Amino acid sequence: MSERTVQVTVNGVPHAAAVEARRTLTDFLRDDLRLTGTHVGCEHGVCGACTVLLDGEAVRACLLLAVQVDGREIRTIEGLATGEQLHPLQEALRDCHSFQCGFCTPGFVMTAVALLEEGATPTEEELREELSGNLCRCTGYQSIVAGVAEAVQRVNGGTAR
Amino acid sequence: MRMVGAKVPRVEDRRILTGNGHYVDDLQLPRMVHAAFLRSPIAHGRITSLDVEEARKAPGVHAVYTGADMRALSKPIRSPLAQGATPEIFPLVTDTVLFVGDLVAMVVADSRYLAEDAAGMIDVEYSDLPAVVDYETALDPGVPPLFPDLESNVLHTATKEAGDVEAAFAAADRVVEVTLSQHRIANVPIETRGAVADYDPGSGQLTLHAATQAPHGLRLQMAQTLDHPMDRLRVLTQDVGGAFGLKGNIFREDFCLAIAAKQLARPVKWIEDRNEHLMASGHAREERITAQVAVTEAGDILGITAALDMDAGAYPGVPFSAVSFTGVISLLLPGPYTVRGYRCDSRVLATNKSTYVAYRGPWAMETWTRERLIDMVATELGLDPAEVRRRNLYEGADGDRMVTGPTLAGITTRECLDRALERIDYAGFRAEQEAARAEGRYLGIGMAAFIENAPGPKEMRPNGGFTGGEAARVRLEMDGRLTVFTAQSPHGQGHETTLAQLAADEMGVPFEQVRVVHGDTQVTPFNILGTGGSRAATWGSGATMVATRKLREKVLAIAAGQLEIDPSDLQIVDGVVSPKGVPGREIPLARLAGQMTLMPQTAPPGTDPNLQAEERFTGEETSGSGWSGGVHACIVEVDLGTGGVQIKRWVVVEDCGRIINPAIVDGQIRGGVAQGIGQVLYERIPYDVEGTFMAGTFMDYLLPTSAEIPPIEIVHVEPEDDEDGGVGFRGVGEGGMIVAPATLTNAISDALAPFGARVTEQYLPPAEVLRLAGVV
Repeated sequence: MSERTVQVTVNGVPHAAAVEARRTLTDFLRDDLRLTGTHVGCEHGVCGACTVLLDGEAVRACLLLAVQVDGREIRTIEGLATGEQLHPLQEALRDCHSFQCGFCTPGFVMTAVALLEEGATPTEEELREELSGNLCRCTGYQSIVAGVAEAVQRVNGGTAR
Repeated sequence: MRMVGAKVPRVEDRRILTGNGHYVDDLQLPRMVHAAFLRSPIAHGRITSLDVEEARKAPGVHAVYTGADMRALSKPIRSPLAQGATPEIFPLVTDTVLFVGDLVAMVVADSRYLAEDAAGMIDVEYSDLPAVVDYETALDPGVPPLFPDLESNVLHTATKEAGDVEAAFAAADRVVEVTLSQHRIANVPIETRGAVADYDPGSGQLTLHAATQAPHGLRLQMAQTLDHPMDRLRVLTQDVGGAFGLKGNIFREDFCLAIAAKQLARPVKWIEDRNEHLMASGHAREERITAQVAVTEAGDILGITAALDMDAGAYPGVPFSAVSFTGVISLLLPGPYTVRGYRCDSRVLATNKSTYVAYRGPWAMETWTRERLIDMVATELGLDPAEVRRRNLYEGADGDRMVTGPTLAGITTRECLDRALERIDYAGFRAEQEAARAEGRYLGIGMAAFIENAPGPKEMRPNGGFTGGEAARVRLEMDGRLTVFTAQSPHGQGHETTLAQLAADEMGVPFEQVRVVHGDTQVTPFNILGTGGSRAATWGSGATMVATRKLREKVLAIAAGQLEIDPSDLQIVDGVVSPKGVPGREIPLARLAGQMTLMPQTAPPGTDPNLQAEERFTGEETSGSGWSGGVHACIVEVDLGTGGVQIKRWVVVEDCGRIINPAIVDGQIRGGVAQGIGQVLYERIPYDVEGTFMAGTFMDYLLPTSAEIPPIEIVHVEPEDDEDGGVGFRGVGEGGMIVAPATLTNAISDALAPFGARVTEQYLPPAEVLRLAGVV
């Protein structure tokens, strides 16, 4: 299988690697770069557990090939906290007991980061719609919606709770 | 500060929120290779030829195993808890495939990509056999059994009879009869199944890193099936991404991985993909009950007879097969009601589908049946369903007993019902419903009650019940910190938090200084179940508490000897032992533990310097009724244009005894309700008449999202604090899922009442709603 070189910046760190053309971005991140915080839940773009930010936009890493991100910038859940200091979103999600098993968590977190960084102040109903592209099987979503709403309040101010 | 009862932030959250969890797929071991399975594309057929030669020569391939290869390396897989007729089965198919997704061959290669490439090069030819996909075919004595070593496709029959059935039906004004069907669904944790098997030929040590609910159960079954010595067999489980009963099973793939690791002397990883998961990990719930209810015109439920059929799929679940759950269904079906005569006949049937597995409240058919029946009785008699329930509910008085035997003393179902109806404004809703109907809008309200023996009254579990209770071990470290070794194996329940809350309170150390260790069979006490069956709140907690109490006694005895004071005059606060009310004579636990560990010879006479304690909790200290339970009520609006069901409110009033961590309890309830909603409105595992599997992706098997699950309002009926150190915590993991389908189907039925709809199928997608309403 032919290989190509990919140059990509992940969480601010530049990487260059030779990868097979068919290698998925999730396998590249998880197995090659050993950034296992990004999870794989369905491999067909529905569950959202693999969501990462590609040049600031939330994307499904399972639907991308590593070769498609050449020259671009990726952020994963590992890049959010600063040392011991959690990102305000992570703090809010912890305070609201948002998650249980943690497997869907990276996808929700990265989806919500993108939302926060847009400066969004959604209503609860809008937030439920925004988060409906990510599946969670443990929580019934209420705690996740509450956690993200709390983060929106803390970071962007003003949301209809 | 007292930790128990507080909404303590979870210990687990920092790691899962920063991407630092450790799930099995995160594991990369040196020399690790990857497995892929070739699965059957047909439901039933003999393998007439299997050619793996090309695959064996494919790039990066280390081994290809056929059924014959595996059979030579494995004993038959037989659960120590097997019930009913049990066929001889092996890790891979040796002759006949029995469902779409059945295991035909395994490839091990340098990467999953290469393993799948090679699996695609395997040539298999099948000779089709007729598939058994429905109850009637499975029951037909003229249809050959799926397993040649069994006499029939009926794996098990049983009858439970209690009270006076004849008298109950003789006294009835009328008998309501109906067949209720629950459809096949799947657990679908967001993390699929997976494991890494690692073998060290130097020591003969086999280590399984597994996403399991039951590390000890897996270890025991693996040792038996592979004839592997248990002193060289370790199961390690760290974070598990959801399970809901599924991962309490030990799977045929698990044996394949361990066998390959031993053969190749390399770590072998397999992570199930989502298509494999939906098709072949196992399915739940496919059951039907034909019931007759003997009632008076006034609404007294005198008697119930039920005939239960369960579709067990093709292979028995290990360790718990479908048969394991018939007993609970037939035991609990009468619920908290004053039924006087009762009979339940059960049959468990083998079919050409994926294996029946436990899913969160696997006996929930009893609740759905009973609560649906009560609404049907109310409809038939022209009575209010709330009144029919009130009329037939036990009070929870001392002499109250379910007709099947168990005492119901102390149950709070009636209080839960009253509070749920008050909270949802039942009377107000009926007025609103009437007004809406006049405008052509169809609102409905549903309510349902459940009780669950989690752990059940003491008489149901002498000496700790069938597991003999549960043990925990605690150790005071030399720096004064406390380590708890639990037999629980959490997968989202937050036991690292709740058990630490309990241990911190019992020992008198700061919460932050307690570490809960789970999922390592080398250090954790044995428990064949691990985490499941809503057991942790009582058994995991009780074990942690009694073990910590024992250790505290040891510590106090030592401190008392050192201070020449009676132990009862000592306290431990914030990790410091001190005489009550006498400042200046404090002994920090770190000092005490350090001294006892480094210089045990200095222990005061008659004391034990080994600062560990392992105790088995047999349930003697439990307080309260032993029954978890409650009542849910919901309001829906049905759109007759689309058939869509909008859930407008969902109220939960539940009693799980004392609460360790309210945020965790509420999370368990909401998660269960969400799964129950999914079960009724969105989820179904379909097979066609030839046994072809029809839902291989998340575009076919629909999970509810944040846009579909409504806010869930929760009210707790919680007893007073236990003054005497009792263990008053009861299981809460399953209740939401057990009762939600009954609640929701009753509400939809109520909304469709003007059309005379009779809801007998639990799956109510838009097309079925429109059919019930007579629109299509």
